[in-house]
Amino acid sequence: MISGVLLQVVLAGLAQGAVLGLVALGFSLVAGTARILPFAHGDIVVGSIFLAVLAVVGRTPTAARLAGAGSVALVLLCLAAGMAVSGLVAGLVVLPDLASARRPNSLSWIAGGLAAGLLLRAVLGFYLPQQAYALPDPLRLDALAPGGLLRLPGGSTVPVRAVCVLAIGLLVGLLAEALLIRSRFGASVRAVADDPVGAALCGVSARRVVFGAFLLAGLLAGLAGLLTAPGRALSVDDGVVLGLAAAAAAVLGGIGSLRGAVAGGLVVGTVQALAAYAFGSGFYELAPLVLLVAVLALRPSATALR
Amino acid sequence: MSAVGLAQSLWLLVAALGLALAVSYAGLPMLGQSAFLAVGGYGVLLLGPGGAGLPLGVAAGLAVSLAAAGGYLTALATARLDGGYLALATWTLAWLAQRTLIAFPDLFGGTEGITRAAPARLVSRTLGVQLTLTDRINLCLAAGSCLLILAALYRLGRGPAGLDLAGLRESPGLTASLGVAVAARRRAVLTTTAALGGLAGAGSAVLLGVISPVDVSPLLSLELLLAVLLGGTARWWGPVLGIAVLAALPGGALAPTELGGAPARAVLTALLLLAAVAARTVLQRRPRHDLAPLPGRPSELPPPRPARRGAELELSHASVRYAGVTALDGVSLTLRGGQVHALIGPNGSGKSTLLDVLAGDLDAGTVRLDGAPHRARSVPDRVRAGVVRTPQQATVLTGLSPARQVALGARGGAGWPQAVLRQLFGTPRSRQQAAELHAAVADTLDVSGLSKLADLDPVRLTAGERQLLQVARAVATGARVLLFDEPAAGMTAAERGQLQAVLRRLADGGAAVLIVEHDLRLVAAVADRITVLDAGRVLATGDAASVRADPAVRHALLGVR
Repeated sequence: MISGVLLQVVLAGLAQGAVLGLVALGFSLVAGTARILPFAHGDIVVGSIFLAVLAVVGRTPTAARLAGAGSVALVLLCLAAGMAVSGLVAGLVVLPDLASARRPNSLSWIAGGLAAGLLLRAVLGFYLPQQAYALPDPLRLDALAPGGLLRLPGGSTVPVRAVCVLAIGLLVGLLAEALLIRSRFGASVRAVADDPVGAALCGVSARRVVFGAFLLAGLLAGLAGLLTAPGRALSVDDGVVLGLAAAAAAVLGGIGSLRGAVAGGLVVGTVQALAAYAFGSGFYELAPLVLLVAVLALRPSATALR
Repeated sequence: MSAVGLAQSLWLLVAALGLALAVSYAGLPMLGQSAFLAVGGYGVLLLGPGGAGLPLGVAAGLAVSLAAAGGYLTALATARLDGGYLALATWTLAWLAQRTLIAFPDLFGGTEGITRAAPARLVSRTLGVQLTLTDRINLCLAAGSCLLILAALYRLGRGPAGLDLAGLRESPGLTASLGVAVAARRRAVLTTTAALGGLAGAGSAVLLGVISPVDVSPLLSLELLLAVLLGGTARWWGPVLGIAVLAALPGGALAPTELGGAPARAVLTALLLLAAVAARTVLQRRPRHDLAPLPGRPSELPPPRPARRGAELELSHASVRYAGVTALDGVSLTLRGGQVHALIGPNGSGKSTLLDVLAGDLDAGTVRLDGAPHRARSVPDRVRAGVVRTPQQATVLTGLSPARQVALGARGGAGWPQAVLRQLFGTPRSRQQAAELHAAVADTLDVSGLSKLADLDPVRLTAGERQLLQVARAVATGARVLLFDEPAAGMTAAERGQLQAVLRRLADGGAAVLIVEHDLRLVAAVADRITVLDAGRVLATGDAASVRADPAVRHALLGVR
């Protein structure tokens, strides 16, 4: 039988994994349509929540409970910030030179994405210089059960937040996938991913679809930021490793496969939590990085579009 | 600027020059240079005096070797990844290195890093020399390394050995099909880049006597990339300009972190990178040396024509099935030296599949070259064994002058380490070889009727000229069996005439030539033998007259009953 502690570790891992799945979904979506790896994606996740917190709470945020209006503003601002920053990156870096994405070894979008992420980190670092911040939870998931704990039959408890984050993450992930399979936008996304010239001849603008993919990825990133932030003390610099963990999830699931991205997120989140539990907290960040290098080395075929 | 500051900048230049070799020359977007600086820097301080106690020179050598080994392993692990994913993997390495340094404070000293205050001395017992490594001597070492690397890059770009790098940058697949061992070249480049990163890390760690995770953070990787991009990827001295600009900026990349603070440094780096991206021409400019005429003079002696005699490629009983479709059904075919063999048939009859099998790209039936099994493993190995093929679509390498593209094919198999070293030292033998190569290229271009286009900008070539250039590149490899997939597509009548002459001359020289072709007039004019393929089976094979008279062929191709 699984001990109570291990159960909590796995559940926390799955919850973080569901968040990673949302980030990975955006990563896979952009990598699939534009064939551009969004190097700034993780920074957008962390950046959107910090931008919203700066606007609503100010420069010295705490985990203290927000008033109702503040919570709503924080949620809306965070989602909007994710979309805005992602759209900005697309507009500034990707769209002016979309053709270069098809060229092998093109440096411009790689350098552009890295620069955008760095700029976001650096500017936020000016206003939020501390090592890490505890952030408020506008969704108040802890309030759903007394003490924030859910009692399981058998006497052990699990944090209700983790259960809710897992549920929301999976639900939104599957919703996004359904949207992309059923909708007209989803059909254009797949057309552009397959053959941008052919899609253009059918009247589907690659620029518009790529921009749309970036916006949707930004929205998912904003939501991921909302869900991940209150779970742990967050640093402005955490975005890169988060983004790389999501990249590991996306590659693990196969680039372009949205269901794979969500599943990959759960795997990476669990591995991350178990590694930290077994070997010490330092491995929480090392594990996904090692995983990404290993997956790229051992399964390079996963990077081919499917 | 103090001696320490200057030496520090020069060590960063060493790292940037190493990065330029990968990024600008070989087109490999490597973002993990800071990780290799970390290996070099931490390596020398941990292994050297005050750490494991090894003599400084030995420790530095070991640290640089460790970095080089890291580069080699990186190349192995990323061998099958294309540009963006190579960038992703190496970017991950940069973060992995930094987070590992922080995660094991007992070993690496945590965020404080490690300090070695003891004066560094180079002692040689065998020579009885003792040298105190002052800042000034460190500066001389850094400057000397920079000059050596700059000279090497300058020579590499001009001479034949650098062609392989340009090929790697422009199209690895095509370059492999000309017999260049691209995987080995890629490993060599990344190993060298990492070794230079390790050298820079070791040099500056010894100079400062201290190294911490901040000094080798992923930000440094971006700054080095910025230095390479700022100076322009098109010139060998680009990184010098880039590092000079970064060093001159107040609070910029090279300023001590206490002054400007990390955020200021990061904002500046990010803005400059974005500016470099916005000025896209800087990034996409093609290296000048790759578009320049070949250096030196062609040798006076007529070039040795490759001996193509006696080739025979024999395929027996090849069957290929794709899901539900039979592409080839028990096909046997023999290509003989001295003959032009044409392969014709309706679309979907299996011509390209048959070409794949003959070239060894697809495993079916048994293929024998001169009676021996033709089972070389990689594409370059097969080309060196004497079988070359062209892809159906003409691939043009826009970053290499036509003469250099032909030279790429001509020297495809030449061993690299020796050739590079000879070229770097400019030995008489390397000059002799360059002159011979030049002559061979001139000859191939002459045979293909492309002499006038030798040094033209490749983007200005017409569709037909690109096809002819593609044929010329393959001819230059010296292969005895040449397989051309629709070489006449997009050609004018005059160019078809030229192609016909090239094919004839090849066959007269003893080569076995196969063309897949739709233009029956060209086929009738040039082919000694014709094989007609229909629905994966050989319908007829023989000389032009007998095939034309064959009723089955007339039915399949012309609809005559």
